[in-house]
Amino acid sequence: MSRAGRPDAETKLRGAVEFGTDLAVPGMRWGVLVLAPAAHGRIRRVDLSAARALPSVVAIGADDVGPLVGGAKGDPDRPPFPSREIVYRSQPIAAVAAPSLAAAREAAKAVRVEVDAEPAVADLERLFPEWPGPQARASPQVAAHVLAHRGNVDRALAEAETVVAETYRTAGIHQVALEPHACVAEVTGDRWTVRTSTQSPFGVREDVASILGIPEASIDVEGTWVGGGFGGKGASMLEPYALLLARAAGAPVRLALTYREEFLLGRSTLPAVVRLETGVRSGRIVARRVRLLLDVGTSLPGRDFATGYAIGFLLGPYRTDAFEVEGFAVRTNKPPFGPHRAPLAPQAAFVAESHLAAVARAVGQDPEAFRADHLWADGSTTPLGQRVGPFGLAAALAGARARAAAWRAELPAGHGVGIGLGFWSTGTGAGGEARLRLDDRELVVEQGEREIGSGSVLIGLAEVAARRTGLPRERIRVNYLGTATAPFDAGVFGSRTVGALGRAVDDAAGSLLADLGRRMGEVGPVTLALEGDGLVARGPGVTRPLAELLTPHERATGGLRAAGRHYGVAGEIDASRVVEGGFYAYHDFTGAAHVAEVDVDPSTGGVQVVRYAAFQDVGAVLDRPAAQAQVEGGVVMGLGTALTEEAVWSDDGRLTNPGLLDYRIPRMPDVPPIEVVFVEGYPGAGPFGAKGLGEPPIIPVPATVAAAIEDATGAHLTELPLSPERLARALKAGRPSRSADAARRR
Amino acid sequence: MAAYVLVAPASESEALAELAAAPEGTIAVLAGGSDLLLDLEEGLRAPRRVVSLRRLPWRRHRWLSGGLEIGSTEPLADLEADPELAARCPALAQAIAAVGSPALRRQATVGGNLGRAAPASDLIPVLLALDAEVELVSGSGTRSLGLDRFLRASRVTALAPTELIRSVRCPEVRTRSAYLWQRVRPSNDISQIGVAVAWSPGERRWRVSLGGSPPRPVLAEDAAAELAGPNPGETELARASERLAAHPALVTDRRASDEHRRRLAGTLLDRAVRATMAPGRPAP
Repeated sequence: MSRAGRPDAETKLRGAVEFGTDLAVPGMRWGVLVLAPAAHGRIRRVDLSAARALPSVVAIGADDVGPLVGGAKGDPDRPPFPSREIVYRSQPIAAVAAPSLAAAREAAKAVRVEVDAEPAVADLERLFPEWPGPQARASPQVAAHVLAHRGNVDRALAEAETVVAETYRTAGIHQVALEPHACVAEVTGDRWTVRTSTQSPFGVREDVASILGIPEASIDVEGTWVGGGFGGKGASMLEPYALLLARAAGAPVRLALTYREEFLLGRSTLPAVVRLETGVRSGRIVARRVRLLLDVGTSLPGRDFATGYAIGFLLGPYRTDAFEVEGFAVRTNKPPFGPHRAPLAPQAAFVAESHLAAVARAVGQDPEAFRADHLWADGSTTPLGQRVGPFGLAAALAGARARAAAWRAELPAGHGVGIGLGFWSTGTGAGGEARLRLDDRELVVEQGEREIGSGSVLIGLAEVAARRTGLPRERIRVNYLGTATAPFDAGVFGSRTVGALGRAVDDAAGSLLADLGRRMGEVGPVTLALEGDGLVARGPGVTRPLAELLTPHERATGGLRAAGRHYGVAGEIDASRVVEGGFYAYHDFTGAAHVAEVDVDPSTGGVQVVRYAAFQDVGAVLDRPAAQAQVEGGVVMGLGTALTEEAVWSDDGRLTNPGLLDYRIPRMPDVPPIEVVFVEGYPGAGPFGAKGLGEPPIIPVPATVAAAIEDATGAHLTELPLSPERLARALKAGRPSRSADAARRR
Repeated sequence: MAAYVLVAPASESEALAELAAAPEGTIAVLAGGSDLLLDLEEGLRAPRRVVSLRRLPWRRHRWLSGGLEIGSTEPLADLEADPELAARCPALAQAIAAVGSPALRRQATVGGNLGRAAPASDLIPVLLALDAEVELVSGSGTRSLGLDRFLRASRVTALAPTELIRSVRCPEVRTRSAYLWQRVRPSNDISQIGVAVAWSPGERRWRVSLGGSPPRPVLAEDAAAELAGPNPGETELARASERLAAHPALVTDRRASDEHRRRLAGTLLDRAVRATMAPGRPAP
């Protein structure tokens, strides 16, 4: 493929790029973390002496880092190593480094850890078997509480003709990037340097400064090529440990997780329980109540982002009158909660869509028509009072319904077809900056993000520059710079790279063209083009070789420069509806309607997805192959969330399936043909009206598969993943009523 | 991974001498390595010496008069590539296709699978239903054990530390045989249950076996007896399925509940036997 198509394809196929796990430098020591042997307990002693007695071994624990530690962002009293209390199994409690990996593993085994184990709580429903009352807000197990409402929900539910109440459960899931976390750190004088596989070099710098209590100006973070992130590499994880080891060893230290450790330490998305009540009158939804219990592991009090953000998605993109949403973030003895591609939104969409289908059936309506009737349109307001901007979901749903009808017309026995919707806001809120450098040969985008595999950096940013300037992508190079020299950017997460950093590139390109316009005598709008082998600037009726427009100084120092920035502003919610906690306004509105056809074996519960179509609101497509690949990848990942992926913890807080043998992601034979249809014309906040596409495609998948299974079998499943055993049990139980735990009619 | 010495003896006697000379627990035998290498990487075993069997002349199978002998180190992919296999031993072809991925089958061997004796082996239930015999060799000679006796418990066999598995012999080609499995994920997963059935034309009886449920795959004589003759009717099939679903070997573990396994056992037995009677299949 040409450089313009997928600039990193050739070097990756040749194995020529250096991922975090490939890092090696001369004189490097190998680091290994010593992990807690119990999920909860008091530390009696961490004895490093036997490890330190081994040749060329350094070992560090809580006593060695105490005075240095400032506390992680959001985790103010959690140092890198605990000194008193262990709060999750496999929590790092010490670290060692040695000249070889084998020696480091020996040294780690030589660390003696004495712990008085205490009872651990791994299951949030054991903590709160019933919905907690208001007094639970003071419980040390509650990390956050959020509550918002509008109108009198109790009265509206009492006056409804039909109320459907249901409870849903969703499983913990891991990101499963191909490349585990890995970094190499070095400390020289007061320079703290770390090369690391990360979605956010600047985020790592901020975290390290906060955890180690050193100024950001003393820290250089250089991102390596990233072998997949999916949210798991958005914050620092190994870097503080590697830096502390490097300082103790007086040598560079490599620290990388094994794949098993990746499961044990990873900040995965954790289980949730959702209770819903929906009241209908005259065929219209008049009241919604949603209650979320979210397991946040050992996240500390105040961490309410996940809860407040997720809860909006549990209501779905639907109009309602009265509503009440309440959520508790519940602490358990598990690793801290972490984001997984569109954190909790696929789970929330599964709950919202399946529940509304149950509501529709309870009032004798077609679930797809019922959802279409209640869908937000342009100009609607969200339950929290934010005005809905350009939103292509209704158009996507129309496409999906047409496709579903076509598939149903030729449906084999035992098959079913379902539609699921999902929405998202693409995160243009976190800001970013970029610089451009232009000479008579090429345009270079200088910026601080590594390509993580989606194409958003190398393709997305280049395409934005190409569209703004008129240059072909072959003459645009996207350059990565470390934090020492790069302009700031928040990170490659939240579907924001093209939407926010792309706006900064667009801004810089606008400045660059304006500068050229001035140099050409304000001739009017200027674009760039390739003539022969050199670049030219064109205004109305004028073409000038770039070489002529650059000063001698510019020619000698790499070219004409321009800088751009973009710090997005979210819409507004109606604050009077918020009682407590963090609820968030959206930056733009994007959504998708997906269709799946499944073949179900009712005797075994086996489900095969035989074909799939994604109607995806994207604002504007910037690069079709890359955009299509993002949707296909999102669908495949979502099939895992839907059908097979589940982190299973024992009652005493042990992860029982820390590996790819029993944590099942989809493999190629499990993947159906996927049709991708883009819905354009509903512009988002990104450049040229683009909306982010990293997260949205995964969101509707579990809902879609569940709807198809229900269409095939009548089984209304309320728990993710939709495993064969759960489905077979539901079918054995006699095709449970489609309309849930309790439907009340008058 | 701790350092070890890798040796690849050129003959059976050299390989056996390696085993005989090594203090117990210090040596590991490498066939395809699809399990051993993981154990070494995870530090579950730390042998000082690893004996590779790749140079031994055991990497082939041959059709005997009426039967099949499989060299213990033949890669599953080579066996799978024999077009005769699906016709003469359909259950074995189906079980091999169920093992891991194509890349794994390029490495993995029948001998390694038997030596490992994993509860969820897809091959063992079929080899049980084919009445396979395991040929073991040591410095003091060879011995042959029925597979059922060879298997002791989960990952425990009758193999002595100084012995190697030389071959596996199926005494009779059973063209009417089938193997069906169920998994959470269809591709490359551990089977929650596997059901093998085979009609023995020589003994004029069915063999039925169950895999996937710990501690080890087992023959299900009760269910087989219900099937009676070569062409069981609906009543026999229903009775056999019921018997198999009630088999005491079906238990709960982290991969499936016993309730789910019972449901699957009956269904898969029914389907497997019907598959052997499908039109176009050779007459018994």
